[in-house]
Amino acid sequence: MQAAVLRGTQNGYDLVLKQSASLDQILADLRSLLENLNVDPTAMETPKVSLDVLTEDRILTADEKSQIEQLVGNYPRFEIHKIAANVMTIDDAIQLRERENVHLLSKVIRNGQEVAMQGDVLFLGTIHEGGKLRTTGNIFCMGDVSGILQAGYPDDESKLIMGNLVTAQQVRIAEQFDIIEPDQVADSSQTIAYVNDLHVLSYGKLSALKKINPKLYNRIGGI
Amino acid sequence: MGKAIVITSGKGGVGKTTTSANIGTALALMGKRVCLMDLDIGLRNLDVVLGLDNRIIYDIVDVAEGRAKLPQALVKDKRFDDKLYLLPAAQNTDKTALQPDQVKEIVDELKPEYDYVLIDCPAGIEQGFMNAVAGADAAIVVTTPEISAVRDADRVVGLLEQHPLTEAPRLLINRIRLNMMQDGSMMDIDEITHHLGIELLGIIVDDDAVISTSNQGEPIVMQTENQASQGYRNVARRLEGQTVPLMKLEPQEEDGFWHKVSSWFHRG
Repeated sequence: MQAAVLRGTQNGYDLVLKQSASLDQILADLRSLLENLNVDPTAMETPKVSLDVLTEDRILTADEKSQIEQLVGNYPRFEIHKIAANVMTIDDAIQLRERENVHLLSKVIRNGQEVAMQGDVLFLGTIHEGGKLRTTGNIFCMGDVSGILQAGYPDDESKLIMGNLVTAQQVRIAEQFDIIEPDQVADSSQTIAYVNDLHVLSYGKLSALKKINPKLYNRIGGI
Repeated sequence: MGKAIVITSGKGGVGKTTTSANIGTALALMGKRVCLMDLDIGLRNLDVVLGLDNRIIYDIVDVAEGRAKLPQALVKDKRFDDKLYLLPAAQNTDKTALQPDQVKEIVDELKPEYDYVLIDCPAGIEQGFMNAVAGADAAIVVTTPEISAVRDADRVVGLLEQHPLTEAPRLLINRIRLNMMQDGSMMDIDEITHHLGIELLGIIVDDDAVISTSNQGEPIVMQTENQASQGYRNVARRLEGQTVPLMKLEPQEEDGFWHKVSSWFHRG
């Protein structure tokens, strides 16, 4: 059985590296495969072939990847578009989960404390004056906030902060920030803070979410 | 085995030293053996408040660096016959002269000998604070009904939660001015306690006598009738595990008397 198989698809060519074969065998088979294709006279006329390298259930190390890239690089007719696997490391999976999930957080963030989160946060605790909650995603806030909220850290202006912001000290989204003055925002738990088209932090109501951020609205089942 | 309690606040000038001296004295009056540790190195004054400043021979830095044995450095308060001792701070160096593990070692050496080791923490949250907290089993967070003191107390509670002691920190609200609290121009006790979210250990009213007695080197708890003194005694009893209801905050007697007199005329 060949350890390296070339497959034509609608989008071009997949180069499948069998997971059951050893890397040495793959490299050997790949070399003979490319060698055969290289001498095939009919193939000479086709333009440069872009390969999607699929490694099945194997994750290649950076070193192994560079070996394959180097080998393919010897044949100027071929280039590697991407190297992909069906699996991911646990670390990557955790990061993905962190990014995609809504995290529940219920704690007291006191003066001088800063809690950094990944992804969307549903906050049920209390932020005291001088405390700070920051995340890369959205913040949905049900607790009392007397401190600082930051969503979309460090630079994602598409994120939102929802909840009652009337007692907060500051609201920050990505690099935009706003100091909450008395009577600046409504005393309502349905307030949304967002960055508008002019890159200015502004406030709206929950009922206007569809207008403010159609992408999020659609994702959470708006249509 | 005794218990080591750190008395801290974050902000300066809220009454940590006065509180340490008075709680220590109150516990000694109840018959407990107490050792007060002053960790405000470079700015010591627990000895002054207790009226023991002229008896210091060695200090805590001498003990930590091996120049003196611990019993040599302890200053005995003769008024309480073998009940109250002070381990004074050094005056000629600064807070970096001690390391947390040295303090812990000293506290651990004191604990078997005493019922309570009270650690007077310096203001701030730097090395001095870390030193003071290192050996403690419990903490008393002192605050006054001022926004700045409450903010700093909040910060300190946060730090104590990050490095948890055996017991959760408890709150002592000092310098309460009844008239200001009644007319709403000062934060009230419930508001502060609720905000900080820790158990209330006691409240102490503001009283001129607290200052005048410490100037004489005699803690206020020695005067039985005084309201502030009663506050400290109640705190000491609560530390001993007794259930003592929170002191009723009433205007002072003179006010009450004149109020009564004026009410006779109003009755007309």
